[in-house]
Amino acid sequence: MIDHATHSVPRRLGLIITFGLAALAMIYLSYSLPRLLPGDFVTAMYSSSHVTLTAEQEAELRAYYTEEPGFGRYLLKLASLDWGYSYAFLTPVSALFFGALPWTLLLLGTAHVISMLVGFVTGVEAAWRRDSHLEKSMVGGMTVLEGVPEISTGVILLVVFALHLGWFPAAGAETAYAEVSLLARLADVGHHLALPLATLVLAYFPGNFLLTRNSMVMVIKQSYITTARAKGLPARRIRYAHAARNALLPLVTRFGLRLAFMITGALVVERIHSYPGLGTLLYNAIQARDLPVIQAVVLASSLMVLTIILGLEMIYRIIDPRIEHAR
Amino acid sequence: MHVNLKNELLQDHWFVVGFGLAVLFATVTLLGPPLAPFDPWDMSFAPISPPTAQHLLGVNDGGQDIFSELLYAVRNTVAFGLVSGLVALTLGVIIGLISGWFGGYIDTVLMRLADVLLAIPAIMILILTAALLRPSPVVLALILAGLMWPTISKAIRAQTLSLREGLHIRAAEQIGGGNWYIIRRHLMPEMFPLYLIGFAAKARMAMFMEASLAFLGLFDPSRKSLGMMISYALKYYYMDIWWNWLLPPIGCLSLLIMTVTFLAISLEKVLDPRLKETLGERTA
Repeated sequence: MIDHATHSVPRRLGLIITFGLAALAMIYLSYSLPRLLPGDFVTAMYSSSHVTLTAEQEAELRAYYTEEPGFGRYLLKLASLDWGYSYAFLTPVSALFFGALPWTLLLLGTAHVISMLVGFVTGVEAAWRRDSHLEKSMVGGMTVLEGVPEISTGVILLVVFALHLGWFPAAGAETAYAEVSLLARLADVGHHLALPLATLVLAYFPGNFLLTRNSMVMVIKQSYITTARAKGLPARRIRYAHAARNALLPLVTRFGLRLAFMITGALVVERIHSYPGLGTLLYNAIQARDLPVIQAVVLASSLMVLTIILGLEMIYRIIDPRIEHAR
Repeated sequence: MHVNLKNELLQDHWFVVGFGLAVLFATVTLLGPPLAPFDPWDMSFAPISPPTAQHLLGVNDGGQDIFSELLYAVRNTVAFGLVSGLVALTLGVIIGLISGWFGGYIDTVLMRLADVLLAIPAIMILILTAALLRPSPVVLALILAGLMWPTISKAIRAQTLSLREGLHIRAAEQIGGGNWYIIRRHLMPEMFPLYLIGFAAKARMAMFMEASLAFLGLFDPSRKSLGMMISYALKYYYMDIWWNWLLPPIGCLSLLIMTVTFLAISLEKVLDPRLKETLGERTA
């Protein structure tokens, strides 16, 4: 146990250093890449507008928009949430960002919680009924679903349920200008959330199911499960208290490992369903070549991902103390 | 193990289906241009017309033949995935071998670098570079490969560490085999299953990324891509075009990702069940 204490401190420090370096790399990239940019916002904005600029005006505007702050000041402004003004929306970038963030968190958070819970429980139950018809067809079905990308699921759900059947709205997160009671508003938000949420759950759930089932199948073979059975414990207690706890570990690891990958899907899904989160904001910013917004969304969401993965690594060490001793 | 390999793979339904689809996609990729009835950039046909005998899938809003577009788009997506997957595999194998065999501070530096890259969301770097610098697809594929190698090299390193204690490696050292000789002749061939599994997983990720980036409009608009076709077709969803314009690229993309997924899953299952842990988990 003394061994444990002396080892865990430097390991944890190493972890924090790693993530700090990753964060610094992202910040530096988002600072330096725009400086390599050919073309600029002034050309993009005024070349197609009715306003013709004189050479002098153009030079002044260009000087204003390409002002060079230096990396130190960039860091300082970043920390104080002073992310500049959006070129296209003419509002502070942080206002746009924090306006879109809650919707993304709502969508992604709900999708992850549902797909983790459902995937975990069905995975455990499937492994317990190994080689039954139900289990075999579930594994088959999930493997097929795992091969369908979010773009396809999203578009199919949109076309079928929003356009042809008209059961769900095709865009937005709530009905605009509707003045209704809190309960009706919640129902409205849920109604708008249904399609993007279903898309993401269908995308995340098969992987969680397959992983839980596979690790659970390995765990069930262990001799301590036989011991638990021999003691005459109830089956559900063995399944969840003894076996599933160890099958949970790969699921948590996978979450952290695939988070960076999952964000891609979330961006695409928001765009398909025109859900007003960070993905749609980013898409609009890309279309308008709105640099400060692109930079802010990319950087802030990367930093959030880094924080979440770091948090998971810490949690993982608590769930599975063996890691502290592993080389 | 190698004797039964072929039989074992052929008995796995996932492998058979995946392999059949892979052959189909390989044909489309290789023979795409000669098979295409029209030049996909030719904009001289009547815009948004339904399928006819001449235009198998009709014509899109820009007056381009959709079937020809589809053949070129599949080609681009497959090529992107293969290039990115191959480069990631090469980088991952070389770095994993060096890290595992030489150890010491080389190992520490390389694996710390791998940890840092693992934590960075690849899509964000791709969006940033694609939106700002508009690089060619090859450059984007290389950047993606540069971000994807860590998982492969961690698996290779772990395997190297356990192999280097093996008797045959010790014997090779005793008879005076140099570092590179042992790596080339003994370590590299022995880890062949890991390459296949890693490559399939990375190619899948790269194809998914390509489709998503194209869907978000981050590629050159004149480059045909499944993601871009979906994105354009979606703009006209209120017209009755969903079955001839929207569905084909969606179907192709799903089948493509399924192909690689099935191959990856069955290879992993058949080649070595023990390796599942090494490839699936992070050993930070």
